[in-house]
Amino acid sequence: MIAVARGPAWEKGGERGVADVSARILIAEDEPHIVESLSFILTQAGCTVSVVYDGAAAIEAMQARPLPDVLILDVMLPKRNGFEVLKWVKSEPGLKDVPVMVLTAKGQQQDRETAEGLGVDAFITKPFANRDIVACVKRLADA
Amino acid sequence: MVHAPIGFKIRTRRKELGFTQAALAKQAGISASYLNLIEADKRSVGGGLLQTIAGLLDVESDTLTGRAERRLIDSLREVAAEPILQHLRLDPDAAIDLVGRHPEWARALLALHRAFRDSVHTTAALSDRLNRDPFLGETVHKILTHITAIRSASEILDEGDTLAPEQQQRFHGIISGESGKLSETAQALAAYFDRANTETRALTPTDEVDDFLIESGNHFPRLEDAADRLRRQLDKYGGLNPQSCADYLKAEHGVTTRSVLPAQAELARYRNQSWFDAESRTLSFLENISMSTRRFQIVRLAASFALEEAIGAETETAQLVSSEAQLLARRALSSYCASAVIFPYDTFLETAVALRYDTDILRQRFDASFEQVCHRLATLRRPGGEGLPFAFMRADPAGYITKRYPLPQLALPAHGHGCPLWAIYQSFQTPNRIIRQLAEFPDGSRYILIARAETKRPGAFHEPPVQRSVMLAFDALHADSTVYGDGLDVRAATLATPVGPACRLCVRTRCQHRSDEPIVESLGKR
Repeated sequence: MIAVARGPAWEKGGERGVADVSARILIAEDEPHIVESLSFILTQAGCTVSVVYDGAAAIEAMQARPLPDVLILDVMLPKRNGFEVLKWVKSEPGLKDVPVMVLTAKGQQQDRETAEGLGVDAFITKPFANRDIVACVKRLADA
Repeated sequence: MVHAPIGFKIRTRRKELGFTQAALAKQAGISASYLNLIEADKRSVGGGLLQTIAGLLDVESDTLTGRAERRLIDSLREVAAEPILQHLRLDPDAAIDLVGRHPEWARALLALHRAFRDSVHTTAALSDRLNRDPFLGETVHKILTHITAIRSASEILDEGDTLAPEQQQRFHGIISGESGKLSETAQALAAYFDRANTETRALTPTDEVDDFLIESGNHFPRLEDAADRLRRQLDKYGGLNPQSCADYLKAEHGVTTRSVLPAQAELARYRNQSWFDAESRTLSFLENISMSTRRFQIVRLAASFALEEAIGAETETAQLVSSEAQLLARRALSSYCASAVIFPYDTFLETAVALRYDTDILRQRFDASFEQVCHRLATLRRPGGEGLPFAFMRADPAGYITKRYPLPQLALPAHGHGCPLWAIYQSFQTPNRIIRQLAEFPDGSRYILIARAETKRPGAFHEPPVQRSVMLAFDALHADSTVYGDGLDVRAATLATPVGPACRLCVRTRCQHRSDEPIVESLGKR
């Protein structure tokens, strides 16, 4: 289910962006409160944010245009897990250059190795600090 | 067949009543010498005669035949077979005397043995529960998720002095809601531990070695280097064919190899298909083992000599408690080295990737058995040069797991049996053929299982063949990197077999294949 069907209709961030990261971010995360905080801090930083709540919706959203500048991907997603989405993204010629940040809450070392093997660009463990997320998004968007 | 101590009982009861042997024999209508043989348990007694004697002795015939005692004797014989009592060399037949003379002591011994078995079973179950219970895994995940939401919302409130009142209210609400959920999760965890009453795990030497190999990721870089050196030595004798390896063993270590007919061998010594007699420095094989097994055993012995120092360095750092565990670990690492010699890391990995892990072709390329190929595939874990992550498992036809290397995400039970639906058990129905299975575990993860049952040692006329099945398991995510993903839609809902780790660790309460009650519980998701 695409809970936020905004899809490519990106929500523009506020004018008081603290980090001035004007990037389009797609968040794939199934925990609504984490989504809410992530959306808030990234929007405040100047990003435009779109959200999906499962892996299948993430793949569907990645087939729409314009593409996000950064994909934030939780590992434990319903329908298609984060690794499956990551693998698909990195195997698609038109998508493999989209930077992907993976979020994980358990099995950190093994998850990290799996994600690295699939070509992840950044890896953040939960619980994270908001400033780390913003800094990482900025780094990936600027790269 | 157990012989109950009827004669002893007749004699005891007769003496209690003050009868002589002759008097009782006369009243029963038999000779005194025949009654003497009965009382010495040298003649069986039953039917009408038993009824007559029981009547004369004023007891029930069941008391004399001792059905209950017979069960007691059977049970005591099981006690005598207990591995931890092997050094006492108990005579199973002495159980008859014990039951006859001291039945209460016999019952006391049996009660203690049952309590001991219960404790062992409980310890193993609790150990499995702590290490592999999906409830604990899910609970940790939930706790981290709640904390993430709380932390993130707190930081927004802490740093957001310009937040609108409704935004402040919203993030306070998130913290409040997530704190409540965190409390519930913590309470569920506390209740779980109250029930679990966890104890320290009682490790057997085999468990110790298992843990050591698993914690090492089943990969030993220093032994890989040592194996390369040994392979270069073997090359000087003509390479890796069995005869060249035997020539090396003779020339470098003074060990002679020979074959023995199964009928003439002391089979108890040949559980690993070969036996090394250190005194005569002879390595003996059963005549009917395969050439690949013969070569493996020669190289394994060569490694135990030539790489003794390197192997010792690994086991010394392993913190193995018992000397038996040290010995078992050295044997396991000698096998590891043999595998590394026969399948050189880089060459084998390159070939495996090129062949998309087709184990049948790999067997032919490296002239090896399915088990040897699978075992080596599970050890290709060099950081920066890994093969696909494989779990490995071996089982006997009774279903008992005899070797296992789990993956961090895929637990394999340490004790007893796995899920009866796994391909490893199906494969015994079609020996020498690979069975492929797409399996879905209770957490939704999907794995491809490939298994093949093969004859580890062919039989002889007087000896049944020894069969084992070996299974590899890998994340369905990697399906397209192997031939085993060909033509398989790993996402198709109906294609996957719903499996579990093992009945007592499985949360699928509706499964029709369950043979044991679960000791784990889900969070109500399934």
